[in-house]
Amino acid sequence: MTPTLLSLLLLSGSGTGDLVAIRVKRAETVAQGPIEHALILVEDGKIIEIGEDLPLERGIPVIERPDWVATPGLVDCHTRVGAERVVASRTFDPQAVPELDIDPAADAWAEVLELGVTTLGFYPEGSGIPGQAIALRPRGDTLAEMRVAQPAYLKINLQANASSKNMLREAFKKADEYEEKVAKEREKWEKEQEKKKPKAKAGAKKEEEPKPDEKKEEEKKEGGGTAVQQEGEKKADEKAADVFVPSPPDERVRPFLDLRAKKLTAMMALRKAADYLHLLDVIEDEKELQWFVFFPLQDDIDFYEVAPKMGEKKLLVVTQPDTTLQPNSIRERNIPAELAHAGAKLAFVPRQDSLSGLEEWRTDVGRLIGQGLPRDAALAGLTLEGARALGLQETLGSLEKDKVANIVFWSDDPFEPAARVQAVMLEGEFVYGEVK
Amino acid sequence: MARGRLWHTWPALLALALFPVAHPAAQEGEGGGPPAEEGSDEDKDKKDDDEKDAKYFAIVGGDVYAGTGAVLRGATVLARNGKIQSIGYDLFLPEGTETLDAQGLRVYPGLIALAASSRITAGSLAAEVPGQGSEMEPENEMRFDALLPVPVRLTADGAVLAPDLQSEGEGGGEQKSEVEDTFDPFSSYLVLALASGITSVQQQSAAVKLKRYEIDDVLLGDKHLTTLTWSVNNPTGIASLRTKFAQAARYLRDLRAWRERAAKDEKEPSKRGVDTGALRILSAETLAYFRASGREDILGIARFAQEYGFRPVIEGCEEGWTVADELGRAGAYAILVPRSRGPKDEHFLRPGGASIENAAILHKSGVQVAVHPENTGIDTIGIAGRDVLHIPIEAGFAVRGGLSDQAALEAMTIVPARVLGVDHRVGTLEVGKDCDAILTDGDLLHYQTFVQYTVVDGKLVYDKEKELYYAHIRPRPKKPVPEAAAPAPEEEKPEGEKAKDEAADEEKKDEAKDEDEGGEKEEKKDEGEKKEEGGGGGR
Repeated sequence: MTPTLLSLLLLSGSGTGDLVAIRVKRAETVAQGPIEHALILVEDGKIIEIGEDLPLERGIPVIERPDWVATPGLVDCHTRVGAERVVASRTFDPQAVPELDIDPAADAWAEVLELGVTTLGFYPEGSGIPGQAIALRPRGDTLAEMRVAQPAYLKINLQANASSKNMLREAFKKADEYEEKVAKEREKWEKEQEKKKPKAKAGAKKEEEPKPDEKKEEEKKEGGGTAVQQEGEKKADEKAADVFVPSPPDERVRPFLDLRAKKLTAMMALRKAADYLHLLDVIEDEKELQWFVFFPLQDDIDFYEVAPKMGEKKLLVVTQPDTTLQPNSIRERNIPAELAHAGAKLAFVPRQDSLSGLEEWRTDVGRLIGQGLPRDAALAGLTLEGARALGLQETLGSLEKDKVANIVFWSDDPFEPAARVQAVMLEGEFVYGEVK
Repeated sequence: MARGRLWHTWPALLALALFPVAHPAAQEGEGGGPPAEEGSDEDKDKKDDDEKDAKYFAIVGGDVYAGTGAVLRGATVLARNGKIQSIGYDLFLPEGTETLDAQGLRVYPGLIALAASSRITAGSLAAEVPGQGSEMEPENEMRFDALLPVPVRLTADGAVLAPDLQSEGEGGGEQKSEVEDTFDPFSSYLVLALASGITSVQQQSAAVKLKRYEIDDVLLGDKHLTTLTWSVNNPTGIASLRTKFAQAARYLRDLRAWRERAAKDEKEPSKRGVDTGALRILSAETLAYFRASGREDILGIARFAQEYGFRPVIEGCEEGWTVADELGRAGAYAILVPRSRGPKDEHFLRPGGASIENAAILHKSGVQVAVHPENTGIDTIGIAGRDVLHIPIEAGFAVRGGLSDQAALEAMTIVPARVLGVDHRVGTLEVGKDCDAILTDGDLLHYQTFVQYTVVDGKLVYDKEKELYYAHIRPRPKKPVPEAAAPAPEEEKPEGEKAKDEAADEEKKDEAKDEDEGGEKEEKKDEGEKKEEGGGGGR
């Protein structure tokens, strides 16, 4: 960015009056590495410029914080903080969204913000396929104000056993059946269009209006041509359309169609390395699927066995910042580091899904750096990769031009245990900390 | 292309080179080899592709105890895509063959564990099948993880635990074994099993290959056993069993007669009311599986089997030795726990109770003897050496009671394979069969012996030196580095173990080939002497 261009930018920016410029010791951009003596310019909730020692137009107030370190706002992509813990009985509710579990008035949100967490992925409780997660900002009076994206991902618990595998197989089979049904409908509709073409010249455009009720749909098919014709004519009077409208899918089938259409990503929650192989076995034919893996760490966990395979795929793995013991041994393994070195993308969630867990989160990640985790993977694991899990990597998770200005200002390097959050900026607005 | 042609011609050359030397089984297998071997010109391209993708694995220079009775000293086992392609000397190893140096080691077929704990294949998260295996953890334990709201040990609705298909009984059940969906190829229990020489296990009704790192094609066979109950304490049960078999036999007779008459207007005999379990046993589709230990029950089963001409499998069979001739006549399989003890019923004058000679006597009478340990789980408490990881120790007790070494090997390999109906795939080292082999540093039946390597489907899946479990116990002597000008012989065998092993090998050179009784007696002596030697050396 040349100074002239920048000053132009600033001029135009200063017009609106809500331009904020902050100069800090270092900005951990995540995307482009650290920038020393960085100046961050924020306007309209977005970062409009970031760079080292950028020259500024005179008259623009700069907040000088030569001790602070800025990082993107932290993203916890798998949490239920602020919600009451329920042992849910949901096993197959792919359409469910945990909207009612979120209480905008909860005290937790303010504390979450104070810890530097600016985006949360609120997941639906339950085993099997319990539903879809919502991406939230921890601030707002209503759910609508808190919501960043919905759905963020579909959570699928997959385990190496027949019932779990069959549940997922069955779900995709249902999607297959629906797709077949739609294909048949389309064929039929096209045929009818052919037939009606002469009539269409006369001005009467008809089409078979599909009914949402599946049973009726079937009856129609069995009922023969005349019934369809009659019904079609009836509909045509009410509504003339020349586009094929397929009958809507069952609400439980729709998420799987969305998965195939890449409108939705899947979080595959696993327990052990074998689950991963069984997952691949189940989704073998679903080439279009976008998915990532989640597993909580516990001792005797053996994901290092599949770390090379996950790395090869550059898979996104959501896990906890911790070391574990190799099964039947007291040998410690740093599975996150092994995954990172293998080439997988890592997103971290706190070891405990609570406020205290969020408090220890960054220092836990920091400890892993001491045990072999690359520092840039650690930083991205707290920010950008979490955003990726929520499907928000284009707008959140790093300090880049045109990204949303979710910024945390630390008194020191955020992986230093003594570092404290000095200020938090959420979408261009300071929501915590004394900044003048 | 030139290279491709070379590939095309070598199997013929290889076959020529092999035939005079190789084990007789080699010829059998070559004949039944994949059709690509006899491919015409049209198949040439396809065959070339196959050939390029083919993976070769060779176990070189070991003493091969094929399990068929044959022992080939310093021979090579060559596997192609997981199947044994040839066994013999001076084999041509294709380019890119992965080799495993077996010099000084013995090569046995992989062991087959009957009724093994489901933990071996399903890992630590599996619940033990009740009545089988160890119960080292309290039952119905439910653990919920903080983040993953999934009970990791489900017993209430059986979501994790595969249903106990064996208890399903006579019907055989249509339900497919779920072991393919629960298989955990990374489980430490699986590695322990491989370290113990086990390469296939029975899991409920299924026979499962212990593949490591992969989950494809682990199911070897399923539903080869139909469980029946026979107890003199339950005469009605026996009566109903007799009725079922009578009906099934009559149906089969009628069916044969009807087929022979080939009369079109005649109706096919009705299957209605005929017990499918009995029908499958009588059609030799499955084996009848009994649990019996008392003389009366065993005798009853043996005579019942003779009456209907099927071969019973009797687990337990503690007093089998008292009626061994009847069992032999029935062509029975006995699954024994050679170490089990049982008192004689003092109400009778006749012989009874458990005997250490049980296996030997049954074998002599023509009964196919398989052994398995009393505890088919994996122990972490109690006394070591009695769980599924110690099958050779169990077989060793049968040897102590007079069973030949060869029969003892068969009792851990091919006989269990026959019981599970997978003897066409596993159980011996023969051409055409799966390359499942274990490499030991001594006699398999000796307590000091360790499995050094385990090979499953032509892939090295266990190396003692590389796993945590036994690497530190009597580590393998380091092989002299070829670059080194003068390898120091003193350093090579500091404990004199290698020399001892070799001596032991010399002693037992031909015993496996001897099948007659005289041979067996001699073997017993040899075995005893060797054990003393081994014991002394160990201290």
